[in-house]
Amino acid sequence: MKHLRPLNQKGSRIAGQLRPPEEDVVALQNPPQPAPRPHIPMGCSLSFSPGWEVDMAGGTAGLCQPVERDIYDCYVTCFWPAQVPDHLNNSPDWATKCAAATKDWRNLDLVFP
Amino acid sequence: MKTLVTLVTLYITAAPAATLFLGAYPNSIMVFDEAKGQIIDRIPLSTGLPTSMRLSIDRKQIYVTTNDHSGIEVVDVATRKVINHFVLNTPTKRYRFNGGVTDPQGHVFYTVTTEMTKLDDRYEIGKLKYTVIDLAQQKIVKAVEIAHEDENANAGFYGRAGFEVSPDGKYLYQFRDKVVILNTDDFKVVDRIDLSKPDFPGMENVGFGGLLDSISEPGQHISLFNSADPIVHNRVFGIARFDLSTRRVNFTPIGPAPAGMAGLQVAPDKKHAYTVIANGAVANKRCEFWAFDLGTNRITQTAEVPCRSRFSFGMAGDGKKLYFYGAGFEIDVYDAATLKHERTWDLNNDVTGAGMIVVN
Repeated sequence: MKHLRPLNQKGSRIAGQLRPPEEDVVALQNPPQPAPRPHIPMGCSLSFSPGWEVDMAGGTAGLCQPVERDIYDCYVTCFWPAQVPDHLNNSPDWATKCAAATKDWRNLDLVFP
Repeated sequence: MKTLVTLVTLYITAAPAATLFLGAYPNSIMVFDEAKGQIIDRIPLSTGLPTSMRLSIDRKQIYVTTNDHSGIEVVDVATRKVINHFVLNTPTKRYRFNGGVTDPQGHVFYTVTTEMTKLDDRYEIGKLKYTVIDLAQQKIVKAVEIAHEDENANAGFYGRAGFEVSPDGKYLYQFRDKVVILNTDDFKVVDRIDLSKPDFPGMENVGFGGLLDSISEPGQHISLFNSADPIVHNRVFGIARFDLSTRRVNFTPIGPAPAGMAGLQVAPDKKHAYTVIANGAVANKRCEFWAFDLGTNRITQTAEVPCRSRFSFGMAGDGKKLYFYGAGFEIDVYDAATLKHERTWDLNNDVTGAGMIVVN
């Protein structure tokens, strides 16, 4: 902006906005920024981070292996109510017959909304 | 005779195996014998699913928070029986809380709660509050609103950020993006220290104070923290030693901070400590064990380890084994000296985010 000078009031206001409020030392390194995440269109679920279908990067590598390991955290923390009954409000007994989800998932109760 | 002497010597020098207490689905605590490698008892919890556990300072009781009705249960370690239990929810009020700490006498329980009040047409969600629960009266006796600048740091998982209390009971320490020291009388902030607990994507950051650190001594908190200078924001990790009585902190920087770092597990000899670090994300995530010499504050050994997407990190009672567990029904056992995988214990029961308490 050194070579451009505003000619009217509007231009002066724009230049004022772009000008830093005070001279400052510019840091060489910024605080760590999170990596940009892929845009995942809203589908059947309200949230995909993390989920069973895709992880936060849009793939499956970040999911629990096997996925049944992740069932209970979604259930208890009410994080993923679209696919899993929520423990806190509506289905506290959903998993009472299933101690190990990976082995006993057939014993999970059926829920009819 | 010689054999007998050898056996007696071995018996005297061998450290007794510890007992592990693990939160289990749907509503119990598993008692696991390290020596036998099997579950030896199960403590049923009448108030529901365990979400966090905390060992008392005298190591005689375990305080458990439960999910179903916002309950607290107190377990006697020696008898493995529940000696006190109650719930906070009422027909018109519900609470969310997760983690906390008792005062040194074990009379009250400090935590962070969100109160939800049932009205005729809706639930009214209250602000986050520092909360004092009287364990004898079995109810909340004090709740103080959290200052606006501290709300975000307390919001995730309803205040899972780790708490510690000073031996005289005057100060409450909260270890999160900063170390915040509060007066236990009025919850006014006494001090803020610019040291942050390292994050670990996928780490089940168990609350109730320890944040997966093995607390070695009452009145002290030793763990890994990140520090950043204000100019170039270069993140450095190091070992910090807190004297909870005097509020004095000694931070020794060690090196550039990795992307993720678990809590520090300090061995009983107080010379060796271990953590798990992660670099990269999802498919590119790589994990390593890092072993520390606490005498010189140096890394003595590293080894790559296959890390699960979500797990907890723990240590055996004698400090000779390291545990990977959580998000499943297994405990992966690693040798602390070689950092090599030894065996896998099948619990046949999923472990909750309440984590593991180790009692010798």
